[in-house]
Amino acid sequence: MSDIRYDQWEPVIGLEVHVQLNTKTKLFSRAPHRFGDEPNQNIGIVDTGQPGSLPVLNKAAVKKAVQFGLAIGAEISRYSTFDRKSYFYPDNPRNFQITQFFHPIVRGGTITCDVEGHTKHFKVDRAHLEDDTGMLKHFSSFAGIDYNRAGIPLIEVVSEPVMRSPKDATAYATTLRAIMQYLDVSDCNMAEGSLRIDVNVSVRPKNEKTLRPKVEVKNMNSFYNMELAIEAEVRRQIQAYTLHPGKEFADAIEPGTYRFDQGAKKTIRMRRKEEAHDYRYFHEPDLVPLQLGEEYIELLGNSLPELPHERYLRYMADLKLPADSAAILVGDKFTSDFYEEALAIARNATSLCNWIITEFSGRLKEKGQTLKESGLTSEYVGHLVKMIEDKVITGRIAKQVAGEMLEDPSKDPREIVKANPNYQPLEDDSVIEPIVDAILEKNGQSIIDYKAGRTKALAFLVGQVMKETKGKASPDIVNKLILKKIEEK
Amino acid sequence: MDTLTAKQLNALFSSGEASAVEITKQALAKIDKLNLKLSAFLSVFEERSLKSAALLDEKKQKGEPLGRLAGVPIAIKDNIAIEGEITSCASKFLENYRSPYDATVVRLLEEDGAILIGKTNMDEFAMGASGTHSAFSPTRNPWDLDCVPGGSSSGSAAAVSGRLCPLSLGSDTGGSIRQPAAFTGIVGFKPTYGRISRYGLVAFASSFDQIGPFAQTVEDVALVMEAVSRHCERDSTSLNLPPNGFDAQFGQSLKGTKIGIPWGFLEDLKGEARQNFEKSVATLTELGAETVDVDLSLLKYGIGIYYILTSAEASTNLARYDGIRYGKRAKEASSLEEIYEMSRQEGFGFEVKNRIMLGTYVLSGGFKDAYYSKAQKVRALIIQQIRRAFENCNLFAFPTTAGTAFTLDGMRDPLDEYLQDLYTVAAPIAGLPAISVPSGFSTEKKPFGLQLVGPQLHDASVLGAARAFEQATRFGEKIPGGFS
Amino acid sequence: MASDQTIDIPHLMGLCRISLSEEEQEVIKTNLDKMLSYLSQIDEVDVEGILPCTHVLETIVNVMEDDEEGPLLAHDTFLNNAPDQVGGMIRVPPVIQFEE
Repeated sequence: MSDIRYDQWEPVIGLEVHVQLNTKTKLFSRAPHRFGDEPNQNIGIVDTGQPGSLPVLNKAAVKKAVQFGLAIGAEISRYSTFDRKSYFYPDNPRNFQITQFFHPIVRGGTITCDVEGHTKHFKVDRAHLEDDTGMLKHFSSFAGIDYNRAGIPLIEVVSEPVMRSPKDATAYATTLRAIMQYLDVSDCNMAEGSLRIDVNVSVRPKNEKTLRPKVEVKNMNSFYNMELAIEAEVRRQIQAYTLHPGKEFADAIEPGTYRFDQGAKKTIRMRRKEEAHDYRYFHEPDLVPLQLGEEYIELLGNSLPELPHERYLRYMADLKLPADSAAILVGDKFTSDFYEEALAIARNATSLCNWIITEFSGRLKEKGQTLKESGLTSEYVGHLVKMIEDKVITGRIAKQVAGEMLEDPSKDPREIVKANPNYQPLEDDSVIEPIVDAILEKNGQSIIDYKAGRTKALAFLVGQVMKETKGKASPDIVNKLILKKIEEK
Repeated sequence: MDTLTAKQLNALFSSGEASAVEITKQALAKIDKLNLKLSAFLSVFEERSLKSAALLDEKKQKGEPLGRLAGVPIAIKDNIAIEGEITSCASKFLENYRSPYDATVVRLLEEDGAILIGKTNMDEFAMGASGTHSAFSPTRNPWDLDCVPGGSSSGSAAAVSGRLCPLSLGSDTGGSIRQPAAFTGIVGFKPTYGRISRYGLVAFASSFDQIGPFAQTVEDVALVMEAVSRHCERDSTSLNLPPNGFDAQFGQSLKGTKIGIPWGFLEDLKGEARQNFEKSVATLTELGAETVDVDLSLLKYGIGIYYILTSAEASTNLARYDGIRYGKRAKEASSLEEIYEMSRQEGFGFEVKNRIMLGTYVLSGGFKDAYYSKAQKVRALIIQQIRRAFENCNLFAFPTTAGTAFTLDGMRDPLDEYLQDLYTVAAPIAGLPAISVPSGFSTEKKPFGLQLVGPQLHDASVLGAARAFEQATRFGEKIPGGFS
Repeated sequence: MASDQTIDIPHLMGLCRISLSEEEQEVIKTNLDKMLSYLSQIDEVDVEGILPCTHVLETIVNVMEDDEEGPLLAHDTFLNNAPDQVGGMIRVPPVIQFEE
């Protein structure tokens, strides 16, 4: 479609993120909050909608919601209430959800993140508490319903439509997830369903200020797929407007709920009956209002842990890490904590950072594992980097040691090195010198090149010696010896 | 033994004159003999009650401490959960549903030593004021078997009125305890909202519903209140107050008590009902009370807002009855939508469907502001007006109903049945404690009731004044023919 | 006035998921018309500046419970009342997820 001028359009994106709070029990009952058990094992009177049951609010859920609100600089509502949202669906044990439509607990707020080197501040509209539904499992000739998840506390965070690209969306979502992790209010595990994202997408010509109709895209199971979905939907809408310039906006793009088809990389409209909803929101009569006091809010505000953005700034200021590296590290709390623990041993902030976010990360990706899943310990990774610092091993050898650590994370790298003679660094000049002599003998042209000012020739010579010594020779010593010998020639 | 009050029965049991098993056997025998006439009970706990009674006798033998309801049989309205027993709410939808837990009130009664004797008939899902809206059978009034006992707590009222058992529990949303109490010549009490836990009460209209006792005497009502009005952690709307003092004003003279009467609002009351009410007011004056006129004119909107708000809440409270997790699932349903639509169609009676449709309407887009939101504001206004009226008096007196019990087929127009609640909706609208005490009989020998209403938390005042009236008039001592 | 609207019975039936018979629909429509006519008398009440009553007990706020596990509903007890079950789950006919 060569006529379509995609660059003349601007995507307008908003995110609605549902996060499961990591409370021990459910939002309105004391049934346990656990993942992965057999169907209908973690249920109670309330979350199966038994006649005569009544909801009672979980105080830990309220606390976590307030902590989140404070962490994003939002306004904590001094008065908030709950409402019934009516719709029929089998995973809904009462056929109404208890949510906060009229008076949410958190209003406003900002999520500050790094998007490809730029700091951006994305405004949040509101965040509120609501209960999760059970799970519908689809089979060919029937569907099965499991209510283990019914009643689990959710916090729904709704952004303003302030994002302008898929990368914006990913940065927002990553930071939001990191904030939740740092506060320890959620595991934010997309694979397990404790973090779910719906994206609202519209487009408009770059100079237009008003918003056009939007489309809601659901069912994306990773940030990567979210980016693809946004791209696909933006293209679809631009194409629609371009090809149908006379149509009403809504007729051109058909607003509604869409899902992302990973295979086709397209967004497809869902037309479930539930779509045209009249939720008939009204005040939940079985719950009483929340009137949060100043002391309570202040106490929580004063005890917030270090947040991702703060840590990001600290890494750059104190540890002198470059911005993009710092951003990657802080983006996942486990990784960041791991890094700090290892740093206490390794002491070289930049080197350790690279090892974690490049070396190990790359290999883990190949294996399809996260750092957490790998079983690697911060202590051992710290020691690995420390050995390089202390010149016990060379960088090259370290890579091999790392490989062994990945295969068996219980192995101490110091032991690995001790046990393998090939890893022992070669620092004996008397052994290296003859090798240097031999290489220089074979590579006369390189000596001439180097003397002519081509520094690359030196690196080549060093490389040859390293190869000959199977990487064990200390690069410093090799360098020193080669230069000395060249001088003498 | 069968016409004794709860207090008297407990005394017999405590003194050793009668065992719990004997008392229970006697109640079971009477129920067996007379329930067919009344259709008061939907299920009778023969085995269970005798077992409980035997255990209680054992406890007594061992000298263990016993509650003030020990040995007293009590019937429970079938919208209150008892673990392992059917809680049908007189609906086909739940006719085979067994509650997996005990309502808080049930647990408290059993802890006090009361013997649960059975579940009583009612208007389906508590929607009705007659007792003719049960999916199973209409309940009859012991005073006139061709007449209704009132509703929705029809069976609970009939059981106590017919002396099948001395106590029962009902529920009151717009008058469902007080109106049947008046129609059947017994005492029925709806406490301050929040005084008795709603955990285990199948919800009809959450911000109006309250459980309350039926008894022959006000004294018995106080005994039940002591046993069941404790703070409940599973009900967010439960008050945290000590469960005693309900008899604190017994024996006190009514001298100095100001009783407010909304004569303006009552101007349409006529005939024998009016005569009876005026006579009751005279009695109160004789007892030393001063009566004052109060302005409760906004109550003319009472029925209107009551139906808007309760139907709205009910439409969502009853959404869970969908044939998925429990209850009736239509056999011919072959899709999910059919399960919903057919199960609810088959499972709910007409009155229930009517109210669900009304409730859905008043909440639906476009109409919500005109009806639901407006009704909430009018409710606030009525509460304000009531509060102002209580600045000039301690209690209100109303007739409980505008007439005596009507015949079983007497209510053709549903609007007529809705108007039954005319005098009883005020209390649930404002969450106030209110009682109906027997106040005499019509020329057809059907009972009337006097209603006393107090400010929130003044349950003891209401009970105190009711007892004074009761002691002076003793209408509640009369037993319907064929039931003594 | 709100009561001037004609009540869309099929729409309401859809919202509250009850498939009334033709006859019932007729009767309910008449009933609702009557009721709504009666209820419309609240139109005349002046509620300017009045906050809606959402709770009759104004003094009860902040009711919450600790985040501690309580008694469960046993798996078997739950399924005892179930109209149809399979593999520990409630069974229903296949649910259409996406209609495109």
